[in-house]
Amino acid sequence: MKVLKKTLLLAAIGSSLFATASSAEQVNLTWQMWTGSETDTKSWQHLAEMVTAKYPDIKVTLTTTGWVDYWTRLPVLAASGQLADIVSMQSLRMPNFYSLLEPLNDRIEADKFDVAAFTPSIIGGMSVDKQLYGLPYDVGPWVIYYNQDALEAAGVPLPKPGWTLAEFTDAAKKLTKDGKYGFGITPTNYSVLAAAWGDKYVNDAGELDLTSASAVAAADRVIGFAAKDKIAPLVPSGGADPGDVVQGRFNSGNVAMYIDGPWSIIGMKDRAKFKIGLTTLPRDEGELSAVTAGSGFGISTSSKNKDAAWKAIQVLTSPEALSYLAEQGRALPARTAAQSAWYKVAAKDITNGGEAIDYSLAHSVPYVITNNWAAVENLFNQYFPLAFAGSADAKQTMESIQSLAQQ
Amino acid sequence: MSQSAVAEVSLQPGRPRRFLKPETQTAMLFLLPSFLGFMVFMALPILASLALSFTNWQLISTPSFVGFQNYIRLFTVDPAFYTILRNTLFFAVEYLALNLVISLTLAVWISSLKRGKAIFRVIFFLPTFTPTIAASVVWLLIFTPDGLADTIIRALGLGLPNFLLSSSWAMQAIVLVTLWANVGYNVVMFNAALDLVPKHYLEAATIDGANAWQRFWRIRLPLISPTIFFGTVMTAITSLQIFDEVFAMTRGGPGSATATLGFAIYQKGFTNFQMGYASALAWVMFVMIMALTILQFHMQRKWVHYDD
Repeated sequence: MKVLKKTLLLAAIGSSLFATASSAEQVNLTWQMWTGSETDTKSWQHLAEMVTAKYPDIKVTLTTTGWVDYWTRLPVLAASGQLADIVSMQSLRMPNFYSLLEPLNDRIEADKFDVAAFTPSIIGGMSVDKQLYGLPYDVGPWVIYYNQDALEAAGVPLPKPGWTLAEFTDAAKKLTKDGKYGFGITPTNYSVLAAAWGDKYVNDAGELDLTSASAVAAADRVIGFAAKDKIAPLVPSGGADPGDVVQGRFNSGNVAMYIDGPWSIIGMKDRAKFKIGLTTLPRDEGELSAVTAGSGFGISTSSKNKDAAWKAIQVLTSPEALSYLAEQGRALPARTAAQSAWYKVAAKDITNGGEAIDYSLAHSVPYVITNNWAAVENLFNQYFPLAFAGSADAKQTMESIQSLAQQ
Repeated sequence: MSQSAVAEVSLQPGRPRRFLKPETQTAMLFLLPSFLGFMVFMALPILASLALSFTNWQLISTPSFVGFQNYIRLFTVDPAFYTILRNTLFFAVEYLALNLVISLTLAVWISSLKRGKAIFRVIFFLPTFTPTIAASVVWLLIFTPDGLADTIIRALGLGLPNFLLSSSWAMQAIVLVTLWANVGYNVVMFNAALDLVPKHYLEAATIDGANAWQRFWRIRLPLISPTIFFGTVMTAITSLQIFDEVFAMTRGGPGSATATLGFAIYQKGFTNFQMGYASALAWVMFVMIMALTILQFHMQRKWVHYDD
């Protein structure tokens, strides 16, 4: 009887010790990520497992939603105190949401994390006021996709990186006939093209300034594609995303060229029935300034496991992880050294794919945006269609958007 | 004697009170679930939004009290507010008038049929339970530049611009789709009311020499006026709240041609994260709807006929 009691006591003490040791070592992190498909989800799950492979005491639980829903749910989760430890963030939405994320500069300095290994423009995109809030996993300069079959049929020379606005417009005019268009323009292309031409739409103080001479001049050119030159189809301000509409027209062969980023290549290959080429945005007289966007992973300010999350996001953006994403064609890596892997896989069948990306990245700048950029883009989508249809001029359009964006 | 009288008097009122009390309590118990549901899901959120309309809550920040700033901004600073108000009222008036005329016309026509009444009622009612967003997306495809609508318009030589790209025609597209989606509800309701008009009234009028037109205006219309009143009130309320078709088809554009209060509330609240301001807009909508409904109830004495 005494022996049994002692045995039970020892067992209880032992269990208690094991439990204590186990709970002290094991960290469970949650990670919020958007996803576009089952294949996408598997890629992210693979990255989550890479964290555990490197740090066996850290387990990362991935939760995914679609792209659009992600941004609707994020503030709701934040407001209700349910943010994940690791929060995925796109550079264009960083000004809206950076307050949810832990500043990383101190950790980078303490651990001597090599920020220089990443493409500088996306480090700028993931920063607010020089403070980095997320480690980037991808970088995407806006480029022009073209329908090579259509260009060859029309006798248009294939565009070279660094081509000019005049060359671009001339090509688009030759490609516009028989109900087909040379180019597909959307309202949100305005800021991408304005930046490419060196025209400012945000002033030096970081405020939206759409009524400046250069901003209006850029708007005049963009609007002219549809309203004056008529090289682009009209896109209404409808429920379908204008970008999706134009992409659909490109995939069906109705428009020969359109603006998008490298993130679209993986899906495009399955849909387009023609040879696809890639080239840079058209530059003005000066050098090209290709804006970039990208996404990365931040640490929630409300996380109770910030140190473990910091380790985790270093793994999620490690050379091994980004090379994996590149080989999957999932993302153009934010790490410069890993980008060649992406060219070999995702851009393999794209004419001039590597050259266009290289040239754009070599001339890339962060996408300059304001803290209410989502609202500004909505206003672009609402007001540019009137101008494209010829019902409003560039100055009127920019004045309307400027006054409403300030609300 | 007097003691006996007092005792009798006290007994008499006591009995009815005791008799009523248990039933009242039981009724209260049965009403409790609905009442609690109403309080939790309707009354409390409404009060919460009133409180929010005095804050600058942006969803991921802590709200702070700003007094009447949201309302002041609404009425004096926001360049879009009066456009939104005008769009909403324009839509409500046009849609309400067309809805009532079309649904009443169709209802009278269906009731005049010898056969196939049930079939036509079903046909017109079908759009009512089609999901609005899904139907609007299909209509978006129909109206898209160089789409089906443009093809038909060109074939008929009507010379109309694309509806979605014209600031004067975009709202007509919204009206058209909303009519298609919702007119069936009133058709069925009015048709049912018409079927309840006593046949002998109509027969007597016919004998007295009244023609179809006179029978409609003098007999059928007055007798179904309570139903028309109900239809008017409900349709007016839903038209002021218009959101689904705007969200799916035009997103308030082109420009601000189809921006309505309902859409502005969504845009300010869930796209721009200005919850306080969105709540203020919502309260303006609430007050408008209440005022309109009160006005309608007040005016019904002049045109609604109730059999007494």
